[in-house]
Amino acid sequence: MIARLAWRSIWRNRRRTLITIISIGFGLACTVFFIAIGEGVYAQFIDQVVRMQAGHITMENPNYRHGPAVDLWLKAPKSLRSQIEELPQVERTKLIILGQGIARSGSGDVSVTLMGIEPSVEIDTSPLVRHIVEGRYLDDHDGPWVVIGSELAKRLKLGVGKKMVITTNDAAGNLVDELCRVRGIFKTGSVEIDGYFIQAPIDFARRLFALPEEGATQLGVVLRIPQAQEAVLQKTRLMVAGTDIAVLPWQEIIPEIASYIKLDRGSNLIFQAILVFLILFTIFNTILMSVLERQREFAVLLALGTKPLLLRLQILMESVYLGLIGCALGLLVGGLAAWAVQVWGIDLRSLLEEGVTISGFAVSTKMHARVTIGLLLGTGGLVFAATLVLSLIPMHRATRLSIVDQLR
Amino acid sequence: MANIVSLQKVTKNYGQGEVLTQALRGIDLIVEAGEFTAMAGPSGSGKSTLLNIIGGLDRPTSGRVEVDGREINTLSKTELSLLRRERIGFIFQSYNLIPVLTALENAEYVLMLQGIPTAERRERVREVLKEVGLEGLENRYPRQLSGGQQQRVAIARAIVSAPALVLADEPTANVDSETGRALLDLMRNLNEEKGVTFFFSTHEEAVMKRARRLLQIRDGVIFNDQAH
Repeated sequence: MIARLAWRSIWRNRRRTLITIISIGFGLACTVFFIAIGEGVYAQFIDQVVRMQAGHITMENPNYRHGPAVDLWLKAPKSLRSQIEELPQVERTKLIILGQGIARSGSGDVSVTLMGIEPSVEIDTSPLVRHIVEGRYLDDHDGPWVVIGSELAKRLKLGVGKKMVITTNDAAGNLVDELCRVRGIFKTGSVEIDGYFIQAPIDFARRLFALPEEGATQLGVVLRIPQAQEAVLQKTRLMVAGTDIAVLPWQEIIPEIASYIKLDRGSNLIFQAILVFLILFTIFNTILMSVLERQREFAVLLALGTKPLLLRLQILMESVYLGLIGCALGLLVGGLAAWAVQVWGIDLRSLLEEGVTISGFAVSTKMHARVTIGLLLGTGGLVFAATLVLSLIPMHRATRLSIVDQLR
Repeated sequence: MANIVSLQKVTKNYGQGEVLTQALRGIDLIVEAGEFTAMAGPSGSGKSTLLNIIGGLDRPTSGRVEVDGREINTLSKTELSLLRRERIGFIFQSYNLIPVLTALENAEYVLMLQGIPTAERRERVREVLKEVGLEGLENRYPRQLSGGQQQRVAIARAIVSAPALVLADEPTANVDSETGRALLDLMRNLNEEKGVTFFFSTHEEAVMKRARRLLQIRDGVIFNDQAH
């Protein structure tokens, strides 16, 4: 009967209850939607960056981070790669050679970062492949061919098939240069990548930097499930235990991206917290008002012999109903909206014609949300739990009243 | 007959110092089981205060109050709540029904508090509602009932658990004289046929005349106690 009494009590002021439920629902829906959008953008961005760089997990010479240079290379035998690729969370491994050099043509020279890659692996993993605007991407049979950015091509006045020379220091410190031709031109929208980045087949890069077969500056591990990073990190560390190879998460390889996401997520959370606070204030106000205007009724119930605990239970159940309906509505609306954006995405190209870059990496202008059960349960659970906590004060007030004063 | 209510030198003061109000000044009173007692007096005479103290809703400043053999001054809040639930029925001047419960549910509420199984309490409530003339109106909400009908629901709620004592604070004050007379008939029948002890306050002559015992109170003192 208490449950029935609570249920009917919340509907005695139908308009107020509906407004409260809609407030909870709308606030929660916004929270879920914006967190899902944020998480989706972060996940999408991280995925793009790590696929273009050295994976979610990077294996390299322990000293490489202190002074990145090709002489700090590592030997990545096929057996180690196979062992890592056998892990179910791993999509694949990729070898890269990362070095600095100068790209020259008849029109000038530009300091560039040269990345030696395995074309057959990159075709399946790297987002750069999708950004080729002229020519084509590299394949495993390409010899001294490279893909360059559109800005670099413009600066050196290069087109597909044209020749350029790369000058660099090899692993032994010798000044070397190699002639190569442009196989394709990419345009990502990032000034840094389009203007100063070159990819070449790894065999060509090995020859250029005088590295042995299986030699590379990094062995990257691309994960099928990014959430499995910590587990794979532990396992790969065990695999290379006793060797001179450091195993690092992407957060240590590109810390500026990790810091940016941390900062952005923090500010998003503050915004969401303000939103949740406003919702909670509405709920608190409703519950308190509904208790204050029923003081006489509560006095009657107490006079009839209702235990204060039972009265508190009734008020708690009213909050439970409000919270459950509001949260269900919010999760349904917010979850569905976020799910739609997860599946179809929102294309902001018309609004962001220039594109967006973070720390030199282009962010896709097509946003996809990321809805997880954890997000829905976490936000819904938080708002629901807060609703119950907020009902404590009205509950306390309801049972502290003076029966005689209220019945007078 | 056993004493249901026993008061010895009961006083009740409100405020303090110069604004001290003495609502009750040394009341001595015994109410026996089966009585149909009215308490009359002008506004501010102490009627409601006395009813509240007997009902365990308020505590006396001094004196001894026993209800159904229990000295209520010594009871904790929870024990008082239990005493009201098990042994006392209340009828209020303005009915004070729970607006979101039907007539049947309002009358059933105390039995629910007592932990009576649903089927049993439904049966008892239907019987009582029939006795108070509300057969067929069980599923109506208070707003769908007249003032007299609402007070009948309140009476049903007060007597359904067969309490030792029913306290009524001006039960006919908010209804017209004909309805008031009918309500009083109902209370009197319940008293005579079922032995329910009624102790109620009133300021209406007609109601006073129907009581078997009339107490008159003024300035916190019972100055007249006569049996009819």
